[in-house]
Amino acid sequence: MRPVPTLDLDSVVTADLPNGLRVRLLAERNTPTVSYYTFFQVGSRNERLGTTGISHLFEHMMFNGAARYGPKEFDRLLESRGGSSNAYTSNDVTAYYEDFASDALETVLDLESDRMRSLALTPETLEQERQVVKEERRLRTENSVFGLMEEQLEALVFLAHPYRWPVIGWMDDIDRITREDCQAFFRTYYAPGNAAIYAVGDLDPEAALAAIARAYGDIPTGPAPAPVAQGEPVQRGERRAVVRYPSQAPAVLVGWRGPPATSGDSAVLDVLQTALAVGESSRLRRRLIEAEELAVSVHVSWGWRIDPGVFLIFAELAPGVRPERFEPVLWEELDQIAARGLGKAELARAQRLLRSSVLHELATHNGVAHALGQAEALLGTWREAGRALEQYAAVGGRDVRRVTASYLDSAKRCLVTLEPEGLP
Amino acid sequence: MTAPLGAIHLPPLHERFLDNGARVIAAERPGVPLVAVRLVVSAGAALDPAQGHGLAHLVAQVARRGTARRSGRFIDDRIESLGSELGTGADEDATYFGLSAPAEFLPELLDVVVDVVTGPTFPAPEWGRIRRREIASLAHLLDEPGAVADRAMLDAVYRGHPYGHPTDGRARHLASLRRGDALAFHRRWYTPAATTLVVVGALEPERALDLARRKLGRWRAAEGPPPPTVPAAPHAPRAVLVVDKPDVTQTQVRIATPALARASAEYFPALVANAVFGGGFTSRLMEAVRVNRGLSYGVRSRFAMSRSAGIFLESSFTKLETTADLVEVLLEEAERFSEAGPDEEELRRAQAYLAGLFPLSLETHDQVAEKLADVALYGIALEEVTRYRERVHQVTAAECREVACRYFPLERGVIVAVGPARRIASALARFGPVTVVKARSVL
Repeated sequence: MRPVPTLDLDSVVTADLPNGLRVRLLAERNTPTVSYYTFFQVGSRNERLGTTGISHLFEHMMFNGAARYGPKEFDRLLESRGGSSNAYTSNDVTAYYEDFASDALETVLDLESDRMRSLALTPETLEQERQVVKEERRLRTENSVFGLMEEQLEALVFLAHPYRWPVIGWMDDIDRITREDCQAFFRTYYAPGNAAIYAVGDLDPEAALAAIARAYGDIPTGPAPAPVAQGEPVQRGERRAVVRYPSQAPAVLVGWRGPPATSGDSAVLDVLQTALAVGESSRLRRRLIEAEELAVSVHVSWGWRIDPGVFLIFAELAPGVRPERFEPVLWEELDQIAARGLGKAELARAQRLLRSSVLHELATHNGVAHALGQAEALLGTWREAGRALEQYAAVGGRDVRRVTASYLDSAKRCLVTLEPEGLP
Repeated sequence: MTAPLGAIHLPPLHERFLDNGARVIAAERPGVPLVAVRLVVSAGAALDPAQGHGLAHLVAQVARRGTARRSGRFIDDRIESLGSELGTGADEDATYFGLSAPAEFLPELLDVVVDVVTGPTFPAPEWGRIRRREIASLAHLLDEPGAVADRAMLDAVYRGHPYGHPTDGRARHLASLRRGDALAFHRRWYTPAATTLVVVGALEPERALDLARRKLGRWRAAEGPPPPTVPAAPHAPRAVLVVDKPDVTQTQVRIATPALARASAEYFPALVANAVFGGGFTSRLMEAVRVNRGLSYGVRSRFAMSRSAGIFLESSFTKLETTADLVEVLLEEAERFSEAGPDEEELRRAQAYLAGLFPLSLETHDQVAEKLADVALYGIALEEVTRYRERVHQVTAAECREVACRYFPLERGVIVAVGPARRIASALARFGPVTVVKARSVL
C-alpha cells in the first residue's frame, strides 16, 4: 500500500509549551490557505447529571467575547481578514477551527489566545445562548425522527457511562446551567494543559511556532480534570424501547456497545460497516432495499470514541412494513457474517472504499488538521493520523467474523423502534 | 484590512469538442492520487412533463440499473470494487453523473459511466422498484419539517413555472409515470451536444482526452429541436402559506422572491450583498435573529440561481410562540438593508471573507471538476473563476443596495411557515392573506 502523499507525518513540527499547550504544525502549500484547529479534551463524557450539555453550551459561549476582543468581534475580525470559523462538540472533544487566507495567521493567534486566556462569561450572553441552544435541540432532536430515536438508544446502550446522555444535553439541564458552572468549567477544561493546536497549510512552521509561543505562553495552566466515571455493567440480554410519533412510516435503530477507539477492532468494525451499508452493492442495501424492498434507506455507523462507543444500524422502513418483518432479515445477515465472515471480494471492496474515503479526508488542509487532532484526542498521539489506511489493509476475513460475533451479539443488542401514531 | 486580490490559479485546462458535439475538459492537479469524473447532461427537472414531475430524477436513478452490456448489479459491483461510488442526480437544469477513484482505474470507470449515460435500457423490474422506492422515500421526507418548507416554498414562489417543483417529484406524478416516459426522455434529451465530461486529478491530460474521445466519441443520438426556453420567475403580491404540521414544536420559516439567473451581470453584487445580509456568522440576519434576540439557532439568506431564473430566499426556524416575531425581523431587516445598503466596514468584511475563502472551494479534484462543469453548463466566462477576487472587490455599496431593492422581499414575496396551523396561522395574518394547506399537499 502506498503512503498518503498529502500526509507527511515526518514533516510535522511539534512542541509542548511549558503551560502544557501542545502544538503540531504542518506546511502544505498547494492552496494559499491555512486550517487552524484547537482541540479541547472535553465533551459530554466529562459531564454530570444536572449540567448535561454544558460542553456544548460552552462551545457557544466561546464566540461571545473575551478581554481584548468583545462580543461579536471574533467572527467580524476573522471574516475581515478572509477567514471563517466554526466548532463542534462531541461525546469526547470540543474542537474549534478557522480556515483563512494564509496572511491572517497572526490575527487568528490573537483571537484564539485571547479567548483561551480571558473569556468573558456575562449573564446576558449566557441567557441568549441558552435560548439558541434550546432552538438547536428542538431542531435536531425534538422535531427529528432520528434525533428522538438516537436519544433513546444511547440511554439503552449505556446505563452508567456519561455517553448515556445526548451531547446537547437534557432540556431541563440546559435551563439549569449557571454562570458559576461555566466559570468552573472554563478554568478546568479550557486551560492550555487540556488543549492542543493543529495548523496545516501555507505556513512556515518555525515562525508559526514562535508566534504561537508568544501568543499563548503566558496563559496559566489549570487544575487537573476529574476522571471520567466508567463501570458500565455487563449487558445480559436484549434491551428495547419504543418511540411513538406521528411519523409517516416505521423505522428501526439498533445499537451495540463496541470497543474503545484504541482497540485494533475499531478498524475491523469500519470494514464491517462499509461491507454492510456503503454503496449500492453493500450487503444490507442489496438485501433490505433492493431484493426485499423492506427499507428505503439503511445507514450503519461506527463512531470511534475514547471509551467504548456504539455500533449503529438505522433503517427507514418502506410504508406498511412492520419492524417484526424487518428484524429477522437483519439478524440473519449479521448471523451469517458472524458464522462465515465476509467473502474475499466483499472484503477487498470494503477496503478499497475505505482507502478512498481516507484519501478524500486528507485531500484538504482542514481534513489533515482535523485528522491529526482527532488521532491525538482519541488515540493518544497525532502519529496515528491516517494510519487507519494500514489497519484497513491488514484486516482479514476472520477478523470480521470474530468482531461481528463478539460485539454484534443478539444478547447485547439494544433496539429502538418508531411506531407511527395518530396519522389521518 | 485588506482583501486578498490575487488571481485564482486553475490548472491548465485541456478542452476538446468531439465530432459528435460532446465537450471534454481535462485538467491535471497535484495532490491525492485520485481522479474526479463529472459528466453533465444539460437536461433536468425543468423538462419534466406537466403531470410527470420527477421524471428527470427517475431517469438519473434508473439509468444506472442496466445497459445493453451490463446489468445494474454488475455496474455497482464493478465501480464499488474499485473503491469508488457512482453518484447520479438531477437538478432543475441538468443531470449529473459523478465519481472519484484511484487514477489507475480511470479507463474502466469511464467506460462504465459513458455506458450508463449513453445506453441505459431501463429494465422494467428495476424501473418499477426504483419508482416504488422513491415514492416511499417521499413519505419519510414528510417527517422533516425543513424539507417540507423547502418544497412548499419552491411551489409558492415559482407557481406554475418549470422550476416550481421539487426535482425528486411528487408521489402521485411518480406513480403515473411509465417506463416508456423514461425511454422517451432519454432519447429526446440525452444527446452528445448536451453533454460535457470533466476529468480532473492525477492524470495526463492528452491521454485523458484521447480516452474520452474513444469512449464518448462513438455516441450517436438524434438531435431534436432545442429545449423550450424557461422564462423568469413570475412576480406576485405578498402572501402567507401555512403548511399545517400539528405535531411539531418549532416552526420552519422561508421567505422567497423571484430573483436572478446564474449568468446575470448582477452576479457579484448579489453575492456580496447576500454575504453582508445573510451569508456568514456576522451577517445582519445572524445578528438580528440569533445574537440580539435568541430567536433561532440558524438563519441565512441566499440567491438560488439557476440557468434561466432564480430566487432570493431567507430561511430560519423558531419555537411556535415566536413565529411571527421571526417573520417580522426577517422582513424588517430586508427593508432596512434595501434602504441604506451595507456600510463601508460591512462591505469590506464581506469582500475579504468571500475572496479569502474562495480557494477553499477549489481545494479538491472534485471541487475543481464541479466548478469547471458549472462554468460550461451555465455559459459563464472562466474569468469569473480566475478573477473572482478582483470582481468581488469591485462591487460597491450602491450596487448591493440596488440588488436588494430589486430582489429582496419588500412588499412582495411568499412567506411559508411549517407548523401547527392553529398555533401559528392567526399571528401571521398581519403579513398578508393566509392560506393553510396540509403538509401532505407538498408530496
